[in-house]
Amino acid sequence: MQIVVGVADMKISNQSQQLVVTHALGSCIGVAVYDPHVKVGGLLHYMLPESSLDEEKGRQNPYMFADTGIPQLFRECYKLGAQKHRMLVKVAGGSQVLGGPEHFNIGRRNYAALRKIFLKNNVLIDNEDVGGSKARTMYLEISNGRVWVKIIGQNQVIKDL
Amino acid sequence: MSLVPQVLRSLKNLPPFPMVAQRALILLNKPEVSIQELVDVVKFDPAVTANILRISNSAYFGLRREIHSLHQALLLLGTQELLKIVIASGATRVFSAPTPGYFTERQGLWRHSVSCALMVDLLIRELSLPDQATGFTAGLMHDIGKVVLSLFVEQKFHEIMNLVEQQGVSFQVAEKTVLGVDHAEMGGEMARMWDFPDRLRLAITYHHLDRPEAYTDDLTLLVYLADILVMMFGQDLGMDGLAYTGYPEVLRHFHLREKNLQRILMNFGSAWDEAQIFFGLMGNQDGVQRANRG
Repeated sequence: MQIVVGVADMKISNQSQQLVVTHALGSCIGVAVYDPHVKVGGLLHYMLPESSLDEEKGRQNPYMFADTGIPQLFRECYKLGAQKHRMLVKVAGGSQVLGGPEHFNIGRRNYAALRKIFLKNNVLIDNEDVGGSKARTMYLEISNGRVWVKIIGQNQVIKDL
Repeated sequence: MSLVPQVLRSLKNLPPFPMVAQRALILLNKPEVSIQELVDVVKFDPAVTANILRISNSAYFGLRREIHSLHQALLLLGTQELLKIVIASGATRVFSAPTPGYFTERQGLWRHSVSCALMVDLLIRELSLPDQATGFTAGLMHDIGKVVLSLFVEQKFHEIMNLVEQQGVSFQVAEKTVLGVDHAEMGGEMARMWDFPDRLRLAITYHHLDRPEAYTDDLTLLVYLADILVMMFGQDLGMDGLAYTGYPEVLRHFHLREKNLQRILMNFGSAWDEAQIFFGLMGNQDGVQRANRG
């Protein structure tokens, strides 16, 4: 069964029949975490780096921002028995339009915000597919923790993370 | 080998633009539109009228009273808002065919077009520019060339994508190189055949800012910027992804900084949610097609 994660949204699951998916990441970032021991996983699709942009919005919907969404993603997984040292972390998205890196670079800022949070909290990224100008759809299979991205295009290239 | 002759031949079979939308487009040129003029445009088309009422009552417009008639919609929304709704309701048929050269989803192009129209409106509000239906309409129509070019892009997709990936050119430049014509030019040609107002036609033709003429009208720059922001937002992205060029001078022109763009994207999320009714217009094809035969 497919569980869809929208923009600025998050889903946590320990139901082995579930496939969690988020469609068409542009400059947004998808973060999938999974604890293979208890088979608990979560997928966050955030849009912007920092909730300082609009703190009220960050309270209403923490999944909109990296700095409010990522801690929430881990916390919700802990509630279902996941433990940090066992968790696998996969990241996808953060695309950019072409041209210089100085402008329209929300994708890169989104990625930088995530790296900063992970560094502070000693979280390692196990695998990632970020940047470039591609549109990606990201999947997380709860039964086995498999994470993959589909590059939207005629080949429908699938890349395991 | 250039496909230009084949592409141009396909334009010979271009169906007419839906009548209601066509007549509404003419009203875009008028500084003042009377209620009667708008009523005259839609009154013989019950399906379009039904859609107008559905949209007017959607969360996007946030009216507290339910609207039951065209007259009431006009009074509460004003002519420019209603003109947008009439054009969107009337134009759906043009977008009803799948565009497999660009989108894997059947309604991909329609959804992208509506998103871009909503984004132009949001930019207009953010920049405190006068809100005329022309902006929304240009956003809605900017990629109309993809309707016809899709077939050719599909045939040559790998060649086009290889150029994008190996030479780092935009998808539009790659189209032009491989096919001899790109979707923006194609759209401009269709707009000419359909007698679109000049500003609208030029916004379509130059929406990727590949010519100096593009910079003569803010409308074109707004459509360009909206298109880029919609790609960044993601969701209904096509196979061309984000492979278009970002021009910082457009941001400078509108005095937009990155924080502004972030705020715009943030607000777009809610607008997009509330405007789902526009996406749903496609689910109602029978009604629309029936109406267009009349």
